[in-house]
Amino acid sequence: MSETALAEKLELIVGERFVLRRESDLLVYNSDGLPGYRRMPRLAVFPGSREEAVQVVRTLATYGIPYVPRGAGTGLSGGALADDVVLLGLHRLKRIISIDPENLRAVVEPGVVNLSLNRAVAPIGLLYAPDPSSEAACTIGGNVAENAGGPHCLKYGVTLNHVISITAILPDGEIVTLGNAAGETPGYDLRGAFIGSEGCFGVALDVTVRLTRKPAAIRTMLADFTSVDEAAHVTSAIIASGIVPAALEFMDGPTIRVVESSVYAAGYPADAAAVLLIEVDGNAEGVDADRDTVREICIAGGARTVKVAQNDAERTRLWQGRKKAFGAMGRMAPHLVVQDAVIPRTKLAGILARISDIAAANRVVVCNVFHAGDGNLHPNIPYNADNPDEAERVHRSMGEIMRACVDAGGSITGEHGVGLDKIGYIELIFSPDSLAAMCRLREVFDPLRRSNPGKVVPVHSCQEWRATPAGRAT
Amino acid sequence: MSGVASDSRGARDMTAVATDLNPVQELVLEAAASGTPIRIAGRCHWIDAGRPVNATRVASLAVHAGIVDYVPGDLTITVRSGTTLREIENLTRAEGQWLPLDPPGSSDGTIGATIATGSFGPLAHAFGRARDLVLGVEFVTGDGRAVRGGGRVVKNVAGFDLVRLVTGSWGTLGVITEVTLRLHSVPLQPATLSLAVPGGRNALMQRLTSILAAPATPLAVEIVDASLARSIGLPERQQILILLGGNPASVAAQRDVFSRLGGAESVDNEAWSRLRTVEDTSPPIVLRISALPARLAEIWDGAHASLAGGGGAMLHSMPSLGVIRCILPSGTTHQTVERLLSATPDATVVFERLPSAMWAAFSPSVVDDRLSRGIKLAFDPSNILNPGILGPTS
Repeated sequence: MSETALAEKLELIVGERFVLRRESDLLVYNSDGLPGYRRMPRLAVFPGSREEAVQVVRTLATYGIPYVPRGAGTGLSGGALADDVVLLGLHRLKRIISIDPENLRAVVEPGVVNLSLNRAVAPIGLLYAPDPSSEAACTIGGNVAENAGGPHCLKYGVTLNHVISITAILPDGEIVTLGNAAGETPGYDLRGAFIGSEGCFGVALDVTVRLTRKPAAIRTMLADFTSVDEAAHVTSAIIASGIVPAALEFMDGPTIRVVESSVYAAGYPADAAAVLLIEVDGNAEGVDADRDTVREICIAGGARTVKVAQNDAERTRLWQGRKKAFGAMGRMAPHLVVQDAVIPRTKLAGILARISDIAAANRVVVCNVFHAGDGNLHPNIPYNADNPDEAERVHRSMGEIMRACVDAGGSITGEHGVGLDKIGYIELIFSPDSLAAMCRLREVFDPLRRSNPGKVVPVHSCQEWRATPAGRAT
Repeated sequence: MSGVASDSRGARDMTAVATDLNPVQELVLEAAASGTPIRIAGRCHWIDAGRPVNATRVASLAVHAGIVDYVPGDLTITVRSGTTLREIENLTRAEGQWLPLDPPGSSDGTIGATIATGSFGPLAHAFGRARDLVLGVEFVTGDGRAVRGGGRVVKNVAGFDLVRLVTGSWGTLGVITEVTLRLHSVPLQPATLSLAVPGGRNALMQRLTSILAAPATPLAVEIVDASLARSIGLPERQQILILLGGNPASVAAQRDVFSRLGGAESVDNEAWSRLRTVEDTSPPIVLRISALPARLAEIWDGAHASLAGGGGAMLHSMPSLGVIRCILPSGTTHQTVERLLSATPDATVVFERLPSAMWAAFSPSVVDDRLSRGIKLAFDPSNILNPGILGPTS
């Protein structure tokens, strides 16, 4: 089908304004939250209602046209990039359909911004727990696609643990309900399979999420250290103590300094080698006891000071530095690679030392800012992609860090997804048979692999299932 | 007993290691080659649950047991699927940790069966169900491939989620051989309270609302009816059990919160393990009825009324999940079950145990939608793994 004919068909559904075809219009959609990749969509279409979204998907199905679903485009794995295929933007589907405080749930359209949902339920004492750092912009649909996490997932769990059911449109246009909003789901956990499928299984039309009661009391602390190693060991000690902090975040010296020199300055001590941002929540009596225990562990582990936020304003300020750290890194260089590996928590100190060695050997600056309590690392490297020598050193460092994390028993991604960025690493952790099984699962939802083509699992893995398994009896 | 005989036959199968394939792959490939459907079992506790499995051969994974990896500081454990819950309990307790998964039955059950059936108990209130605690899984598909999903770390979104797919799939997509689980620290100061519940639907709902909205973080909240209460050594009256845990200050404060609601008394923590094992090893009929949590009192009331005078039925419920579990005595008739279901309309019913003759009448297939059929075909193309256990896939 010609470009023009397709565009005209889509314009009939969504209106002329919401189909973009000119390169100058599409330019803004040629990257996502990870600035290192650029892919130009063939065209972009933005349905304004559920009905329009259904019609768009069905039209694309009729003509066998591949597409990439996209929420706010804040993803950090290149997962929402459309390489000469249709980009299907869902951010206009932003209705909060219902809030049900009695049953602690809400039904939202995929384009609802994470923070908007939280603002809507806050007045009734509730919250939606997953809180990615991009919460002010990212959408629930995107969160479902990526199985998004966030600092408070240490205690409260990731998107998977907070989504009850999903109505989705499959790539062939069929509308299905995954999970049961009103009781158990006997049978296969199709909801669980869909969450984190990175847009490869279809498009969510509405999502029923679980809401959580706000904790009665919160204590937020900032502990600062003169050594990265001490901060890493204190992290392990807090986890081992049996306290489950609501969040336990780590920022190293380079991160602290870039945050403090930006508009997001949070009052972190600029000469520290590392800080831990630690939050405990629960009832007032209990959190005060936990706060005291955490403070003792920090001091015993070498913390110079442990500052406790005295009010909401102080707490917000401490968090702002953490949540905006990626943005602050924009001050250092035009591009940023963002890593998302996960390691067993006891390996933290060793891995941080290894990362430091890798950075030194490749002459790059690593800014570590991550969810230490989960062992979910984010070693980020600001750089200039237009300098080929520097770009080469950065990518070599990233590969070496990834391998070190995998060798430590870890995973290549904890919350950002595989997307395009980590597809080259997935064979480090999964066998050909495992990847082929994943392909088979995808093909049940999308036999022609038209939804977000070329992401998550390498195409060659999908061929291997058809071959005879190694050693198979005949 | 057929279970024992099946077990030993399974055990022989497991020892047939001759190639670089793992023994479970050997077993599955042989079954696939000869077209022999197999019934997958842990320690055969479910064999007599009446589920309509079209297989004559039983493969027990009881001997496929043992700890693969346990680093307490990581709060994760990797075990082979035939490992018993008790072994995991004993090992982790020694480190001040636990797997907060307390499915009905004794701890002699295997972790593989627990995960495969997606079983859960009162601790799901705070810790989630099996699907929320499994981090990684290795399984053998119906065409003999050893496949892994997830990993050994606590947070992981790499690849499509085979872990959730296999958890609760009752062995129909693969034979689980290994699982990695998230552990927690054992809460300091566990304490159990019992709160009296005045009679009547509205009173129950009000009571539940005030408990669940209280500024507290109980580890479990469970309603037990009078006959169940008696069976676990508590006064014979309907009551709500609350498990608290945490630092001493937190537990004391929470105890105060619930005491202020009135009618609260302390109860031995043993009540929870007695609740887990209250039923006979093979009660004839056990089912779970679930609905929106706000309908809990209505459903509880309806179930109760329909069973009144039935003699020996026991009910308990996890109100935050909207799940009611009914343990019905031997001699329960077809009509009684029918009455129970019509007294709890528009709810989801999951049978755990049912005489085989009643399965077809009461338990429709739960895997007969297009996606489920496609998934079954993709992972078990010859339909040899527990065929029919979730109902037919046409």
